[in-house]
Amino acid sequence: MRKYVVILMAIGLLIVMSACTEGTAGDDNGSAGNNGGEKDSLVIGFEADAATLIANSDVNYTTDTQIRNIYDPLIERGPDGGLVPVLAEDWENIDEYTWRLTLKEGVEFHNGAEFNAESVKFSIDYILDEANNSAYRSRWVNVEKVTAVSDYEVEIKTSEPFPSLLDRITEDLLIMEPGYVQDVGLDQAAKEPVGTGPYKFVEWSRDNYLKLEAFDDHWRGEPSIKNVEFRYMPEFSSRMAAFLSGEIDLFKNVPVDSVEEIENTENAKIEQVDSSRINYLALNTFHDGPLQDVKVRQAINYAVNVDELLKTILNGYGTKMTGPLAEINSGYVETDEYEYDPEKAVELIEEAGYDPESMNLSLDTPNGRYPMDSYVAQGIAAQLSEIGIEVDVQVNEWGNHLDRIQNREMGDMFILGWGPAFTPQSTIENLFTEVAPYSSFYDPEIEQKIMETNAIFNEEERLQGYAELQHELVEQAAWVPLWQQADLYAVRGDLNFTPRVDEKFQVYEMSWE
Amino acid sequence: MLDFVIKRFLQVIVVVFLALTVVFFLIRLAGDPTTLFLPPDAPREQIEEYRELLGYNRPLYVQYGDFMYNAIQGDFGESLRSQEDALGIVLDRLPATFQLAITSLILALFIAIPLGVLSAYKRNTVFDRIGVGLTVVGQAVPSFWLGLILIFLFAAQLQLLPSGGGGTPVHMILPTLTLAAYSVARFTRFTRSAMLDVLQKDYIRTAKASGVPTMRLIMRYALRNSLIPIITLVALDLGVLLGGAVITEAVFSWPGVGRLLWQSLMNRDFPIVLAGVFIIALIYAIINFVADILYAYVNPQIRVK
Repeated sequence: MRKYVVILMAIGLLIVMSACTEGTAGDDNGSAGNNGGEKDSLVIGFEADAATLIANSDVNYTTDTQIRNIYDPLIERGPDGGLVPVLAEDWENIDEYTWRLTLKEGVEFHNGAEFNAESVKFSIDYILDEANNSAYRSRWVNVEKVTAVSDYEVEIKTSEPFPSLLDRITEDLLIMEPGYVQDVGLDQAAKEPVGTGPYKFVEWSRDNYLKLEAFDDHWRGEPSIKNVEFRYMPEFSSRMAAFLSGEIDLFKNVPVDSVEEIENTENAKIEQVDSSRINYLALNTFHDGPLQDVKVRQAINYAVNVDELLKTILNGYGTKMTGPLAEINSGYVETDEYEYDPEKAVELIEEAGYDPESMNLSLDTPNGRYPMDSYVAQGIAAQLSEIGIEVDVQVNEWGNHLDRIQNREMGDMFILGWGPAFTPQSTIENLFTEVAPYSSFYDPEIEQKIMETNAIFNEEERLQGYAELQHELVEQAAWVPLWQQADLYAVRGDLNFTPRVDEKFQVYEMSWE
Repeated sequence: MLDFVIKRFLQVIVVVFLALTVVFFLIRLAGDPTTLFLPPDAPREQIEEYRELLGYNRPLYVQYGDFMYNAIQGDFGESLRSQEDALGIVLDRLPATFQLAITSLILALFIAIPLGVLSAYKRNTVFDRIGVGLTVVGQAVPSFWLGLILIFLFAAQLQLLPSGGGGTPVHMILPTLTLAAYSVARFTRFTRSAMLDVLQKDYIRTAKASGVPTMRLIMRYALRNSLIPIITLVALDLGVLLGGAVITEAVFSWPGVGRLLWQSLMNRDFPIVLAGVFIIALIYAIINFVADILYAYVNPQIRVK
């Protein structure tokens, strides 16, 4: 018997030893590295792995946030939502179909190659090439041709006027190194990326972590934090525990009911920013029913008490909206507001020829996609029941929720979020036309106006058009606007970190005190 | 014997085939994955185009036939999310899952067998009560709860152990404990009842009467004979541990197959889900196959049937 025990123990030991393979050996980074002497490492607890590390392929926030530390864009968005030059120094419109960008000189990729017009052409062509199956392609189909006019000048020709090209460049495009990608092939470049960004790739262990180190020759100067790790922790409670124990220094999406606990923790703080992501209650007008009547939609706007929902369910973390756009959007105008007024709501429903007491509406909500989403849905149901409307709340798995919206199988109302949204077009066109079901509101006249406005090339006139649209959409009670989400971050007390409106983690901007 | 082996092997194939078939149709009930992989503002034409490219616009039985035809050749397609070979991605995660499952199993055996023996031998004493109490608690406590409590205690409060992630042996302690808890309970209960059975046999009484020392009596005479059913249980549990570590892997951010499956299911990355189900079903069926063969080898009656 003793013999067997010894053998078993030996096997056990062997297995444990085999856990310490290369790559995992010496895994003493993170808080351990931060404890002794000067801090120069940062560990971010992140909800999911990147799908790929190649740029311009996957539109998901989780991928983009990580690789934006490796690759640089041409243009980025400043804290006020305005455009700020990065690798592009300047841009101009030559005519409605032609754009010219002047690029920064003297920028190097991590492998020493020089950044120039060819790299920009390569990166845009990568999106356009159907073989690469980039999820961004649909947004770029109007681009006809990219030409490197000189080493530092790129000309982009579009097949039709494309006023939102600069937004596409800002939000989508990251610059890859053509020589490297051609040398090693796409598969390899997707695993060991090379860019011009402030951080170089070190190691990527799937579903485990991504490690980066400072690129000291970065054109903006040496990054202050030398080592960065994105550690993948799908469960909020695991992120929370890891933060409390000091294993991670930063994570996003703190639930509103955990804010206090973090604030009461030593060397920890909460940072907050009004997100460019908005939450709303959609009123489906795609199929027959009371919601096709503007009066009923207005009534629901009067009956939903957004302030109360914000206060009681979200503990005040969120910024109330009144119209289709949030204040952070370019082109936002203040619109009238439907103040909470249940009596008026009843009146309007009766005027429309319905009896609120016999009205029965469905309300679909995802669970955990947006802050307290399913609780908000129940809150709304309770508020509507106060004027007699009976609401059936259905909680959906996220993929299923999205499918039902896309396939137009939604019932009367549903909860959804939209963002990050900065331009009026991306919100208005995608939410209030027939082809886009995300608010499931459709009105032929408004749709016509949206299409006309999108095509106006003069920016001032275009914004004027969007301003009028905002007023009309409020008048039509196209939806019930709820709030801009508050992005809540748990941050180590001595980390200088200012949350960005675009939800990204740009480690270059962070430093230890 | 050869007949028996072949028959059992065919069963393995049937089990894997059925598992894949059931899962294939079940995940399709939730819809197709195209909407989750394109930006929300993608126009309808692009969604259709993508659907066509991936073949999700074809009738379900055609997709099924196509899938099976390729799967038989070991081709489960590419991950929709990362566009890499789905089977390769699953196999990459397998070692991590194995590590956790096997260490948990060993730990469980080391705790459960002595505990079971003790409970049985000291039946109706305080030892027995403790043993039985532990098994009830172990089987009743859900693993996500136990995992979170362990994290809270050892990582957040005492700061002795990392709360999650893969890598060093230290990272394995909490997930191993969590995963082992259920097996400890099952094994203890089983060992106890098997031992009780054997301890009442005549030959034990005889051995006792002839003055065999207690330790020797338990180890040689009783435990050895009660081990046979326990081995079957261990084989079954190994299968459960390999496939059922989904929650534990998610709670501890452990980079294994379970967590991959869970995330792929959420993302509707169907090729990975199917490749993962294939691997788990295959392992489960093979473990049972081996256990059956061993059993038949030990007990000729089974072969004859």
